[in-house]
Amino acid sequence: MLPTIQVDDSKCSDPLRCRLCLLACPTRVLGLGTNVAPKKYQETPPSHFIVRGVRYQFCTACQKCVEVCPHGAISVSYDRGVTA
Amino acid sequence: MCDWCEQYGGGYERWYFNPANYARRLYKVRREEAEASGPEANPQAAGGMSVVGREFLEAQARGDHETMARMRRDAEQVSWRIHFGQVVTKEEVERIIDLIYPIGLMTCVCRRSMRGLPDEENFTCIGMGPGMYKWERWPDTYRGGMNFLTPEEAKQVIDVVNRRGLVHCMYTFGTPYLAGICNCDYPDCGGLRTAVDMGVRVVWKGHSVAQVDPDRCNGCGLCVRRCQFKALSFSSSTLKAHIDAFKCYGCGLCRNPCKPDAIEMVDRASLPAVAGVW
Repeated sequence: MLPTIQVDDSKCSDPLRCRLCLLACPTRVLGLGTNVAPKKYQETPPSHFIVRGVRYQFCTACQKCVEVCPHGAISVSYDRGVTA
Repeated sequence: MCDWCEQYGGGYERWYFNPANYARRLYKVRREEAEASGPEANPQAAGGMSVVGREFLEAQARGDHETMARMRRDAEQVSWRIHFGQVVTKEEVERIIDLIYPIGLMTCVCRRSMRGLPDEENFTCIGMGPGMYKWERWPDTYRGGMNFLTPEEAKQVIDVVNRRGLVHCMYTFGTPYLAGICNCDYPDCGGLRTAVDMGVRVVWKGHSVAQVDPDRCNGCGLCVRRCQFKALSFSSSTLKAHIDAFKCYGCGLCRNPCKPDAIEMVDRASLPAVAGVW
């Protein structure tokens, strides 16, 4: 069973600059990506950067990323005892 | 012999010593291949830099080995055609640097993805060949810009990142076109963590395997923290370093801090049981 990690992108406006959740995670679960492909002659604007769970198998559901997020954008849930 | 040397060696000792694999005409091939394979072939657009994602991890969590094997095989087929890496030693990189032109130092997209590193702290990747000239056209792919280096400067960079403990990997961009020398570490490198955590061979082991001479090893343990592949441990019973030859990627990083020079790199082909373990 893997934890569910949800990020509300509308509350997370510039994760590349903020990166608090990436640094707080003790097992390096989270990653940063873009929701658009790179464009010619144009840097991707900060609003198109998104944080997502990547290494879910290492998430302990410790909630450190949830606590550190200044915008309350992350939620992590884990259903104990429920197997897939 | 590794599959890539067999297919693309062109008579050279290793496929990455074959100058034809850096040639401009292959760059054209890359474009068609990459475009035909769709957006997943663009590691940046994929978000999180993974060739396999949650679906694989869910299969792993429920012990569904069949699904895992299928996903692994599919991911490897795409990766080997478009973009995969092979670990090389420092000595090999130094030889490669004399083959390539131009040489550009650029920021690492993997470490940006996992640590959100500011560009000025993130110049660890070497790109080479005609693709480097297009950096101004693709400011997002080449965030932070491009520093063109002389071969001597590039060797100095390799020395610095090697001392930092980063593994040198040769990467294809439309196999066999080689266009990147990445300097990687676990778990921030998308390639290394996919290979180590999921057994998906997007990074191949190198042509060497490290061996410890127990008579020389003084048990200082400095080598253990250099291993990015969980192949090196410290044996509490012998008080010496212990290397798992089947997990060793042959990067050679463990040798460097070893004062008594107790670690030797041997040719993978000389050990029959690991000769085919890539």
